[in-house]
Amino acid sequence: MKTAIREKAESTTSLVNPIITSVIRTFESMLNCSPKRISLEVKSGHSPKYPLSAIVGLTGKMSGTIIFSVSNEAALEILSRLVFEQADEITSEVCDAVGEIANMIAGSAKADLAHLNLTLSIPNMVLGENHEVLYPPEVTTPMCIHFESEIGPFTIEFGFRD
Amino acid sequence: MKVLIVDDSGTMRTIQKRCLNKLGINDIDEGEDGVKGLALFRANNYDVVFTDWNMPNMDGLEFLKEIRKGNTQVPVIMITTEAEKARVILAVQAGVSDYLVKPFTPDALKDKLEKWVGCHV
Repeated sequence: MKTAIREKAESTTSLVNPIITSVIRTFESMLNCSPKRISLEVKSGHSPKYPLSAIVGLTGKMSGTIIFSVSNEAALEILSRLVFEQADEITSEVCDAVGEIANMIAGSAKADLAHLNLTLSIPNMVLGENHEVLYPPEVTTPMCIHFESEIGPFTIEFGFRD
Repeated sequence: MKVLIVDDSGTMRTIQKRCLNKLGINDIDEGEDGVKGLALFRANNYDVVFTDWNMPNMDGLEFLKEIRKGNTQVPVIMITTEAEKARVILAVQAGVSDYLVKPFTPDALKDKLEKWVGCHV
């Protein structure tokens, strides 16, 4: 039993660094921004920290979900930095821009996890205070990585099952 | 110079279009998936095609294969998150002309577009 738990923990840990690296790579390349990882915790509850979530599914030798959660202010700044257009509220263009960053984060992590032979879903966007995203019951330890950046704080959540 | 951009993300289409505009290319059509891209491709004559890989309805690889069925040599450049060697080989086997992995720096995009549209800023 202890071996199974250890293997599960090691499996989760092996995902953390590729995801952090992909976040930094994507932000630096696309947003001219250098995010800093603040903390890593086991996710509790079903609500992502911020009101706009981009959800990308991954399937392959493992399957799971990556959630990029941002504040409205950070989302507006992402649009501005990507396409040099301003928005005062969350529009479909803002959601598309945030979804594209999530797609790049997941895609870049996928490349560093090539041995898992992962395939990405098209990003889905969820908007609203306290919205909930449920992981499949087989995902026992979804994780949440907190970042700070010039465009504001954001989180990356992920949960995988073998 | 007539260019086709196929990507389901309006953001990505805008980024590429702005870069092409800076290179003096303004005759640009856009498709949001492979199906629409293929319809545009069959109805027009393009000098260069830029396409994403992961798109609904018809992905970029199928779109590329459909283009190559027509025995055309038009340059098709994939701009995609699909960076694994096995995926790149699939694209090369299907006849892709060049490849740019997302995320990219502004200079990397400019260099790639400039290479294929043959213009200079």
